[in-house]
Amino acid sequence: MTHDPLSVTRRRLLQGGLAAGLTALPGVPSVAYAAAGPTGSAAALDTLVVVFLRGGADTLNLVAPVNDPDYRAARPPELRVAEDGPAAGLPLSQSLAPSLDFRLHPEAAPLAELYREGRLAVVHAVGLTDGTRSHFVAQDLMERGVGAEAELSRANAGWAARWLAARNAVNKVGVPAVASTPHTPAALSGFASALAVADLRAGLAPPGGTQAAEVLAGLMRAGDGPYARAARAALDGLSLIDTRLPRLPDGKVAPYSADGGAVYEETEAGRGLQNVARLLKMDIGLRLAWVDVGGWDTHEHQAGRFSNAVRQLSRALAAFWADNARDRGRVTVLVMSEFGRRLRANKSGGTDHGHGGAMLVLGDRVAGGRIHGRWPGLSSAQLDRGVDLAVTTDYRAVLAELVGSAVFPGYSAQRVGVMV
Amino acid sequence: MDSEWPHRALNRLGFGPKPGEAEALRRVGLPRWLDEQLAPDTGPDDACQSALDACRLRIKYDAGEGWAAVEEMRPLASLSKPIDALWPLSDGKKPFAGPERQFPRLEVAAATLLRAVHSRWQLREVMTDFWHNHFNVYAGEQAVAAALPAYDRDVIRRHALGNFRDFLEAVGGSTAMLVYLNNRSSRAGSANENYARELFELHGLGRGAYLNALYNKWRDVPGATAGKPAGYIDQDVYEAARAFTGWAVEDGAGLGGEQRLPATGRFVYVESWHDNYQKRVLGQEFDPYQPPMADGRRVLSLVADHPATALHLCRKLCTRLLADDPPETLVKAAAQVWMDNRRQPDQIARVVRAIALSPAFADTPPAKVKRPLELVASFARATALDMTVTNGLLNEVDSSGQRLFGCPPPTGYPDRSDAWLGAAAIRRRWSLLLGLAENWWKTGALNAALPFAGPVTAAEAAEGWQRALVGGPPSADVTQAIMTGMALAPTARLTPGQKDGDAKLRRMVAFVAMSPQFQTR
Repeated sequence: MTHDPLSVTRRRLLQGGLAAGLTALPGVPSVAYAAAGPTGSAAALDTLVVVFLRGGADTLNLVAPVNDPDYRAARPPELRVAEDGPAAGLPLSQSLAPSLDFRLHPEAAPLAELYREGRLAVVHAVGLTDGTRSHFVAQDLMERGVGAEAELSRANAGWAARWLAARNAVNKVGVPAVASTPHTPAALSGFASALAVADLRAGLAPPGGTQAAEVLAGLMRAGDGPYARAARAALDGLSLIDTRLPRLPDGKVAPYSADGGAVYEETEAGRGLQNVARLLKMDIGLRLAWVDVGGWDTHEHQAGRFSNAVRQLSRALAAFWADNARDRGRVTVLVMSEFGRRLRANKSGGTDHGHGGAMLVLGDRVAGGRIHGRWPGLSSAQLDRGVDLAVTTDYRAVLAELVGSAVFPGYSAQRVGVMV
Repeated sequence: MDSEWPHRALNRLGFGPKPGEAEALRRVGLPRWLDEQLAPDTGPDDACQSALDACRLRIKYDAGEGWAAVEEMRPLASLSKPIDALWPLSDGKKPFAGPERQFPRLEVAAATLLRAVHSRWQLREVMTDFWHNHFNVYAGEQAVAAALPAYDRDVIRRHALGNFRDFLEAVGGSTAMLVYLNNRSSRAGSANENYARELFELHGLGRGAYLNALYNKWRDVPGATAGKPAGYIDQDVYEAARAFTGWAVEDGAGLGGEQRLPATGRFVYVESWHDNYQKRVLGQEFDPYQPPMADGRRVLSLVADHPATALHLCRKLCTRLLADDPPETLVKAAAQVWMDNRRQPDQIARVVRAIALSPAFADTPPAKVKRPLELVASFARATALDMTVTNGLLNEVDSSGQRLFGCPPPTGYPDRSDAWLGAAAIRRRWSLLLGLAENWWKTGALNAALPFAGPVTAAEAAEGWQRALVGGPPSADVTQAIMTGMALAPTARLTPGQKDGDAKLRRMVAFVAMSPQFQTR
């Protein structure tokens, strides 16, 4: 990398009016963030947005080789991407496997457009090299950023927490990490100032007004247990966000108005990414935002449920992209899931737990319009344990290109080339 | 033992003490208290029953295709209804408004809160909550909501202190679980693995015994060829899934030809959906063509008898009853009691008793963050609030991170402190307390003068409420924080019964409950 990403950062921040906005808020010197640099040479991006598809997304029904006879034989038509007909998949130009016709699920039209524009990349046959097919083991491994269960005991903090700590984001005023979830995900565990905030619409001041805020600050001052520590972080972070929420004359939080004609739907993905966009525009020093999207554990009645889930996810990502034009150069979005699903369908019209899956990466600095990785094939002999898409790219290889390999000690990353 | 043990015990084996209960426990001692609480036949509970009878929840929706608009206050009538009376709510083709289909969840959630506050059988309520999370179902799904009252009543409550093997079969054959983990649609040929996998990983042996990353073949698992495998791999999951094919629900599904199952919501075993060929689960050979349900029952017995299940369940019980990381020696001792009593009808009660009477139980300091359900119930109990449940309170509990029967993944809500400390969730904890103290949701008026005879000074009030809520001597830091934040001189007079005095006292009660001392147990 030839340019210094930091100088770009600083210039952009200043152009974006951050400094001016901050002087209006005495005692909040968050501009110091701009000086906190990445530690690894590859860790150049400013802000990472992780969208985690909980439940094991059937990515063989999202980005699929539609003309592969093994693929067609393994599934009924409603559980695969079609080659032709009214619901044909959306073609993707790619060099992953030139003889195969990889296509996107027809409900992912907004993603196909971002792919054509070179902003969206797919990494396929990616995942855990560990043999687990358990949601909870796989999520744990992926959030702690390790490769096998034996390593869990050595990874008390999540990978996102390690990244933020290495970037010196601890002890800064501001809100370096937000999760649009009820509680902070394991990837952020160990990072005490991460805020789990799923909804900004009613404001975030403590209930009971300034009196309660003062009592609470006093109550928590001396405490050293997890509750008092978390409560202190919550009081600081929530009030910082709350003071920056635009208000209506009656004091209520103004409804969010997205830029770029973006429309967020009332879905988990839509609400979560809107939340992130709103926080990004507050310039609170956000480095990592985490959005959970559920509904992917489709053992049964997959066809309709999966179509809805893909449509909702695609529209939410497209809305975020349109809304976030100001920050496209410094914000990268990663979409991942704990595993892909079984190649063969079950008799409930669904698919059971599998192994390899796909990741999506979206951003101005992404090597988009390509499917990265190595395609292992879908014949029985090519499948992992004879049943599942094999993993040819460790999920950490992708993460390492986003946040630096130093976040994954003991793992020597293979090159994927997902960022330019 | 220190002087505060009764308070602590009631926070762990119940939803916190009511005024006077800690002293009563000190007098009778823990063994006798446990005898009464763990008795299999619990007597009448008039206070709790009247709270359940008096509760009304609002239901409101506009007219739609096939139904008229409704706005009314309803009693918790579904609690006693059989499954077939509620099952029509799960039928998407029948004309019911969405709120109608979800109403059974609200009723069971309201009853759960009411029982936590009012029930005499506190330990049973704690265990009911434990098992609802252990055998979690997600009632956001309509068919699960319709099955929830029966699941709560006939499965979870019936077995909460009973025998684990019996419990497993009641869960495995329950409509709620058959719907939630999809076994009702599992068929021979390509079975649905959802239930079988979670039976091993969550209900039984636990993820510590999932050895798939280490072994590809069943015979490679240590002990497998001797019929005593140390753990399980995916091959066991596949085979167990085959064993449960045919365990289904009378949900109107087609049986081939013109035949259909009736639509009652009751359990049914469908022989033609069962995979009858030989199987091998946890190192045991199953012969082909066994009697109806014998394959599934045998899997349940293998799971219930496995030593990994004893360890997994006892670790979870100790985590609930003691601390996030309970001492391993206690977990092992409890697992031994579990194994020794696995043929007893009161196996679970015996294990709970052993944990509660262990030295570690008495010695463990209060550090576990209360979950929202515990927070609400312990606050209402400590303040002697005659609490009812309203939609407003249920909404607030939903937002606190513990939407009752609304946890989508099969793990149930996590039982570790950090899961309840998200920033927005902490803010909701404070709202819950202030809202209960100030009666925002019409749940009942708090008697802010409970610990006093007449007018008090501000400092006396803060200290009196700390004794009432926390049990031990008051903390000077907490008193100071409240005086300073409320801009009250410690000597300022507060008069209960007067508007200003009551308003300040109620806030003070809520603030004491926001202190770390009340938030942990």
